[in-house]
Amino acid sequence: MKEAMTTSIGKSIKKIDAVEKLTGKPVFCADFGFENSLVLKVLRSPYAHALINSIDTEMALKISGVKGVLTAVDIPGKNVLGIINKDQPLLAENKVRCIGEPVALIAAENEEAAEKAMAAISVSYEELPAVFSAEESLKENAPVIHEKGNLLAKKTIARGNADQEFQNCAAVIENTYTTSHIEHVYLEPDAGAGYVNDDGLLVVYASTQNPHYDLKEIISLLELDEQQVRVIQTATGGGFGSRLDLNLAGFVALALYHLKQSVRLIYSREEVFLATAKRHPLKITMKTGADKTGKLLAIKARILCDTGAYGSYGIAVAARSAVHSAGPYSVEHVDVESSCVYTNNPFSGAMRGFGAPQVAFAYESQMDLLADALKIDPLEIRQVNALQNGSVTITGQKLEESVGIGNCIEAIRSHYKDACQNQFIKNTRPYQKRGIGIGCMLYGIGNTGTKNPASARIEIDQEGTITVFTGCADIGQGSTTIFTQIAAEVLGVTTDHIKICTADTKFTPNAGATSASRQTYISGNAIKQAADKMADTLLDQAASHLNADKANLILTNEYAVITNNPDKKVSFSDLAVSLHKKEDDTCWHGFFDPQTTPLDENGQGAPYATYAFACQLAIVSVDTLTGEVNVEKIVAAHDVGKAIHPEQVKGQICGGIAMGLGFALMEEFEPGKTISMKDYHIPTSIDIPDIEPIIIESNEPSGPFGAKGVGEPALIPTSPAILNALNNALGERIYSLPANLERVLEACIKSGNFEPKENDNE
Amino acid sequence: MYNNQIKISLKINGQENTVHAPPDISALALIRDILKLKGSKEGCGIGECGACTILVDGKSVNACIMLAAQLDGREVLTVEGLNNGEKLSIEQNAFLENHAVQCGFCSSGLLMSTHALLSENPNPDQNDIRKAISGNLCRCTGYHHIVKAVGEAAKQSAGDENNE
Repeated sequence: MKEAMTTSIGKSIKKIDAVEKLTGKPVFCADFGFENSLVLKVLRSPYAHALINSIDTEMALKISGVKGVLTAVDIPGKNVLGIINKDQPLLAENKVRCIGEPVALIAAENEEAAEKAMAAISVSYEELPAVFSAEESLKENAPVIHEKGNLLAKKTIARGNADQEFQNCAAVIENTYTTSHIEHVYLEPDAGAGYVNDDGLLVVYASTQNPHYDLKEIISLLELDEQQVRVIQTATGGGFGSRLDLNLAGFVALALYHLKQSVRLIYSREEVFLATAKRHPLKITMKTGADKTGKLLAIKARILCDTGAYGSYGIAVAARSAVHSAGPYSVEHVDVESSCVYTNNPFSGAMRGFGAPQVAFAYESQMDLLADALKIDPLEIRQVNALQNGSVTITGQKLEESVGIGNCIEAIRSHYKDACQNQFIKNTRPYQKRGIGIGCMLYGIGNTGTKNPASARIEIDQEGTITVFTGCADIGQGSTTIFTQIAAEVLGVTTDHIKICTADTKFTPNAGATSASRQTYISGNAIKQAADKMADTLLDQAASHLNADKANLILTNEYAVITNNPDKKVSFSDLAVSLHKKEDDTCWHGFFDPQTTPLDENGQGAPYATYAFACQLAIVSVDTLTGEVNVEKIVAAHDVGKAIHPEQVKGQICGGIAMGLGFALMEEFEPGKTISMKDYHIPTSIDIPDIEPIIIESNEPSGPFGAKGVGEPALIPTSPAILNALNNALGERIYSLPANLERVLEACIKSGNFEPKENDNE
Repeated sequence: MYNNQIKISLKINGQENTVHAPPDISALALIRDILKLKGSKEGCGIGECGACTILVDGKSVNACIMLAAQLDGREVLTVEGLNNGEKLSIEQNAFLENHAVQCGFCSSGLLMSTHALLSENPNPDQNDIRKAISGNLCRCTGYHHIVKAVGEAAKQSAGDENNE
């Protein structure tokens, strides 16, 4: 009923910024510049771990065209960055902790002078022993990377008595799973630019996921006030977590501060690979036990997260990997520890899912192994254990509503049955094996057990033009578009009547990070609240204008109208004029912070206000003589609460699946070896199967029009579904990602499938 | 580095143009930095990602690994040459209508590959489409809506031809 009445929600309107991108307008940071901009370059450490004895910049400064060489001593404020824990210098002080760590910033009139200056800076390093694995790093005699020790954080979830409960299980499975460093590979290399205006304001443009965080870090680095710096997000060509760090806005600001001249900094793809965060490689040892009906009784997990040289989002990854370690299932006895450890690898930070994709590979492999041990169908064992409304999670949180995992599994059932029936019929070649796999997940929306509010503002001018102000950085996912839908729905106008101003610290309120799949839910709520307040004022005003009862008025097509007498109406612009005349407020604020509680020392609490759920089915075929895997089809059922823009939701699902496929089969960043796109491959259009996205809407009462989130959930079930399908095809399981040609071929050989045979599938 | 500049005459987006440029710059640098057409993007600089795809004499190429000098005497089409003022081309419109744009950094290159495909093969099937755009990496969409958009563009342009 309510659904049928929406005018904007649930409609796949055209994306707001699509036309300018399709016509090649200069919207990305590398596309525009300011007059007489200096070129910035960053000199980086060639060593993984070394003391810096001295940095000699004298020769570099003598090069014609070089305007400045800045080092740590030129940072007037606190030379330390990090959104959760502060441990990373903008420019190294007396020590470098990974290859690629920034040491000096060069500003020059042109590229050539900057390059010459890079070569002319003399840094005296004293190499230190380095450590490249989390396990080694925790050993007693390991090199000390940070003074406070190599263990950054440990998160524990303890509930019941897992060790004892394993004795009551009909099957217990224990395995160790590993995953690799992953590069984000957003298509737009990081870029920044800036100028100093006549009032001395430092204006910084950057491709970023969080302009307000960037501002905070810049004023801390430079010891300035908020009013002295303005950060503006340019069109951002993807992010996937990496642009939550201060990738280059700090360099732009530091140069502006000293040189008072416009500057630009554009990373090459090689520098993006060298300088920015990676997905944490995880080592997960997981023990899972169930009774003979398949009901999970206990899980135990020990998780090691390699955060590399710096924390970045490492603590969040440790927390999230622990909280998500049981997946979307009920289990009473839990013993999980997740440790985040420094090494001399490149720093790991946020990447789509914050550890959840890694643990999903483990817990979903375990589910299939349990199903096999207990002779239960893989889909059934998942449905038996699926969380429901009223279930309690491993953190002791009772989920009251919007638990859609059961519906996701049911949505997959018929596709799964069809796939099982066709598994052997459709095989055509003797050296080909087909497999079917399931992957499920849950994902907490927003930050883990910490405050993560968003603010928003909405205004109406005397012409009746409505403008939404949000600090939310749209990095391609389409948040800007759906925010106009939310405001339009509340105010009874079409979306083309809503203007929107985003991600500019001078004009927009802080919306927090575009991360943790949080913006639709959190900023969406803040915008809805501001719009609701505005609607209320307009109705009040209209009631007195029309001499009518407010309860009998509605807002539609830029008018307040009496419902049973539609001819009696007053326009928004008339209402706005009278509000302006009365000097009444014509600006309304919205604020939303999800209801969460922090996790206690046993990891108990309500870390998220709501969760997204999903179930995906993967059908793969394997060439057993080459190890080549062809993912034939993926069916993906995602509970998003409510799809405000269904095609954008499907876009997230399909994009997530592509990234999940890369994570499963091909992507691995090898520190010190992987240099560029020539040796790091992401899926192309040929690698991607037919995808059938299915949207499940289990209304979330606290969400804007029932919405939750989908950005990260889209990726999480894909790699377990593919890996389970591979095992189903070969009868041999792979425990390390990526399941690349070598690993798959090894599995083919081990399982006896490498032998040339007649087509035994028929 | 080089004081000598070379003269390059080309027809770009329908306009004859003669420019003087250093001999060692790429076609992409010529287009972006000298001709100031910013629609063609640099995503990798080594011909892997396809964000710089342009058409040279109707063939799609990666502008980042082609020398500017190679454009002398050639006819070049970039994304800016697709639309006619406000009026979007069939490809651009199909991408818009089919939600094929997310971050949009790969869009220009994809549009050029689409344009090349449709001029060579007006009735491409799914495989033809996937093959034609396989040199254009996209990290956001999983190609799902892009493949659909290219298919719709093909239908649309076939329809247009029938009308003529």
